Amino acid sequence: MSRASSWTRRHILGASAGAAALAIGARHGALAAPAVQKGSTLTYWGGLIFSDQANKTLTDAINKWGADHGVRTEVVMINQNDTVQKVSAAIASGTMPDALDVGLDLLIVLARQGVFLPVDDTYNAIGKDHGGWLPPVDKASNLNGGRFGIPFGISGNMLLRRNDVLSKAGFPNAPTTWAELVTQSEKIVKPPFFPMGFCLGNAGDGNTQVNVLQSYGGRIADDSGKEAAIKSDATRAYLTWLKDAYDKKLFPPGVTAWDGAGDNNAYAAGTIAFAANTGSVGIAARKDDPDLYQGTLYSALPGGPKGVISPIGPQLRSIPKTSKNPDGAKALFEYLAQPGYTGAYYANAIYGPVLANEEQLSVFGGKDPILAGLLDLVKKGTAPGFPDVYNAAYADVMNSFLIPKMIQRVVVDHWDFDRAMDETQAQIQATYNKYT
Amino acid sequence: MRRTLLLNRLGTYAALVFAALLILFPLYWMATTSLKIPRDILRTPSLWPHAFTWNNYRILIENDGFLTAIRNSFLVSATVTVISVAISSLAAYSLARFRTRFRGVIGRLILFAYLTPASLLFIPLSIIMAQLQLGDSLVGLVLVYLTFSLPLSTWLLQSYFRSVPRELEEQGTIDGLSRIGALLRIVLPLSAPGLAAVSIFTFTGAWNELLLALVLITSAGKRTAPLALNFLISSDTLPYGPLMAGAVLSSVPLILLYFLAQRFMVQGMTAGSVKG
Amino acid sequence: MSVTTHGAVAASVKRPRLSATAQHALFAYGLVVPTVLLLLGLIGYPFLYAIFISFTNRVVGNAGHFVGLANFRFLVNSPDFRASVWNTITIVVVSDAAKLAIGLSLALLVNQRLPGRGIFRSILMLPWAMPAFVVFLTWRVIYQPIGGGLNLILTGAGLYSGYIDWLGERATALPAVIVATVWRGFPFWFISILAALQTIPGEQYEAARVDGANAWQRFRAVTFPGIRQVVIITTLLSSIWTANSFENVWLLTQGGPSDSTMVFPVLAYFGMQTMQLGQAAAVSVTMLPVLAILVFAATAMAQRGAED
Repeated sequence: MSRASSWTRRHILGASAGAAALAIGARHGALAAPAVQKGSTLTYWGGLIFSDQANKTLTDAINKWGADHGVRTEVVMINQNDTVQKVSAAIASGTMPDALDVGLDLLIVLARQGVFLPVDDTYNAIGKDHGGWLPPVDKASNLNGGRFGIPFGISGNMLLRRNDVLSKAGFPNAPTTWAELVTQSEKIVKPPFFPMGFCLGNAGDGNTQVNVLQSYGGRIADDSGKEAAIKSDATRAYLTWLKDAYDKKLFPPGVTAWDGAGDNNAYAAGTIAFAANTGSVGIAARKDDPDLYQGTLYSALPGGPKGVISPIGPQLRSIPKTSKNPDGAKALFEYLAQPGYTGAYYANAIYGPVLANEEQLSVFGGKDPILAGLLDLVKKGTAPGFPDVYNAAYADVMNSFLIPKMIQRVVVDHWDFDRAMDETQAQIQATYNKYT
Repeated sequence: MRRTLLLNRLGTYAALVFAALLILFPLYWMATTSLKIPRDILRTPSLWPHAFTWNNYRILIENDGFLTAIRNSFLVSATVTVISVAISSLAAYSLARFRTRFRGVIGRLILFAYLTPASLLFIPLSIIMAQLQLGDSLVGLVLVYLTFSLPLSTWLLQSYFRSVPRELEEQGTIDGLSRIGALLRIVLPLSAPGLAAVSIFTFTGAWNELLLALVLITSAGKRTAPLALNFLISSDTLPYGPLMAGAVLSSVPLILLYFLAQRFMVQGMTAGSVKG
Repeated sequence: MSVTTHGAVAASVKRPRLSATAQHALFAYGLVVPTVLLLLGLIGYPFLYAIFISFTNRVVGNAGHFVGLANFRFLVNSPDFRASVWNTITIVVVSDAAKLAIGLSLALLVNQRLPGRGIFRSILMLPWAMPAFVVFLTWRVIYQPIGGGLNLILTGAGLYSGYIDWLGERATALPAVIVATVWRGFPFWFISILAALQTIPGEQYEAARVDGANAWQRFRAVTFPGIRQVVIITTLLSSIWTANSFENVWLLTQGGPSDSTMVFPVLAYFGMQTMQLGQAAAVSVTMLPVLAILVFAATAMAQRGAED
């Protein structure tokens, strides 16, 4: 039984192995819920998101669960920007919590090192109870045949557009291709209003350009996930599109040094028309700038000649192997998958649903354009890294911002495409070689 | 004679005012941003707020336990400064006045503490802290900050101590003081400017430090001021209003410290003290 | 000069007494013991750990194994390496020079007995009064092409109206980083030098004036020797800190655009984000020899000028 292997030497409160199921809410013949030991403690590191309300919902729910089951819970919200440092230090010093929220990219890297407990039993139980996991979520969270995290939300980029400006210029519909986006931009550009607010700097937003590249057929590496494949005609086509748009001054000045907040700030300042954003821009506008919020619409990212590449970014709950209360954590995860909680959480967060019956939640009904857009993303989005193989080397290339660097070589240093592609090809290959 | 003095003075003031303006400009931006409403900060940037609001300060103080964070910072920084000045005074005195065989080696060795950046040291440091059972505690933070402040304090105090004339100490020991007594009664008072400087450095360094606090402190109640500010930034949203309000609030204790400490920077403390 | 022994030495116990020099030395070493112990205990292990793992392919969660110079080879072959070396040297040298000039001038100015000097001194320390990340985020906004403070002033003063992309263009990115770094860092020089100026006895100036020296000669003969040691140490420490400094570059330009502001700490950060501890350590270890040489050179200069 996998549960036996989850016991560590430090599991002092030996819960009896075959304890009868302690139902948490009504359960129908699913796998026996793990026994929750009264009097135990559970430390939980939650992922801090922009919405105070959502953070509070999570904290309150966990504490309520703890109170109901006699478990002393301690919830700490960890800033997403600091998760890597915090988790690295915690793993090294043996101070990981009993359960934590983690993004898929970090989960993949750490699961390879055996940091997390497999949670297949909980995963299957939750899926069964709630109409099944949505197929793209199911696929993405399957790590080499094992489940090491329970998804709780889908993040990802949508295309935000200033509908008020665009419809006035005769473009009521969202652009479906990147070329069309450029066409629309050309009609509305008027300094200091520069429509294409897409980050080209060394930031996560800059890596959105990888998706644009891939929609043109460009690839980081080949299908084996071992050989660099950036130098190609497809990449050349992409770079042509990019340089063309940049030379037409459709990008705002400063994009080559933007950080993750660059597009947020520019959109809030009203100086761009398009942005690729997870929805945080919309939420900020809803609070601070109702006019901007009203004038904004959300749609899927445009596509290139080879289709739309719009990756979903799952957020998952996981249990470190050093956890002192894995059974409690599993029970908590099942509790947090109940619609009573998820409805409240999704209403204030910016995540798409992960379970089939969550699609029916009223919050995804269409009144909230951001959540409607996220639901759309889950249904039509692509797997992380697709069409490239999402392995550790790929993650390394992303973390080193090699594609934004290639772009900067072209638009800042005015290198010709071949020279830039050659340099990037060599760098990507050197990176991939590290992982063989 | 008076005219040159006046011109001199005017010139000095002009230069100082010019420098102050250059320095103050970013701080001015910070202060005005803290008083602006969010929409104005980004949508209608200007050098003067269109509409004033205290809301940013209110959010900070009410919701985020910010004042607790300031208190924590104060506790940590004050403790580090006091202990650091004490320990490094002893070490600096030794390195400055005693010609021991390993003086050079020790002097160099303590500087090696700065050769590797904190961004690399934080992992082994958290391992050590966990083993000492000092993880997630302000005491652990004090210990770590103390260690990083010692090399700087020791070296600077060495230089300041050396400029105190030896004759004064010798006089003291002739009069019956022990070496420690000479240190406490003669050298330290005459190095007051140096001590003030070192206190400023240590306090400021401890107050503003972020990375180690981030890694070593987990509970919300133990956060220091930079940590509390850092928490305002979640993923890609930068709430400039509350952030700048927090920066202004967290700088007040430091400004008070600077004003107090600089009064110890008085020239000529050693003037006329060597008799004969 | 007699050395009194502290603590009783029981006369009845026949224990060999330590010689005066030995007691002297013991006392001297005793004074540095707390410092050395703390440093060895808390920094010694991390320091050696960092050097050790740079030769392994350690990742978070897995100790990895010895890979010799592979990490270093990867680093040296990356296109960013040469840029990092050049940029680091440029940032360190230029900002040191600027901070020295500014710190020294300001210290000399406020050293005089002026009314209101307390206020000026406090103002001049303000760039230090907030955490580094707040400072550089503020500067980022000031440098913003559209709506940033700098461009607002230029436009308002009628000097230029346009959108100068301070951070996003190769020509201005590094200078912009340097300016912000100097703004943040000069108080350290200012205060160190000011304190050093304070400890120069006034009589020395008097004596020089009586001997007929003018201002420049007084500076050379009295001021400069008085602050020499402090300036050497300040230069050394400031150089090391600037070389290892991450936030100034990361929060302003993230090492971009292209490689115009790429420095070693940013490269280490990339390695860190991929949980590649060995790789990240190798970046810092690469800088070690140079920094160590600086330490030796500076401490030699400092000790030489202060022979007791």
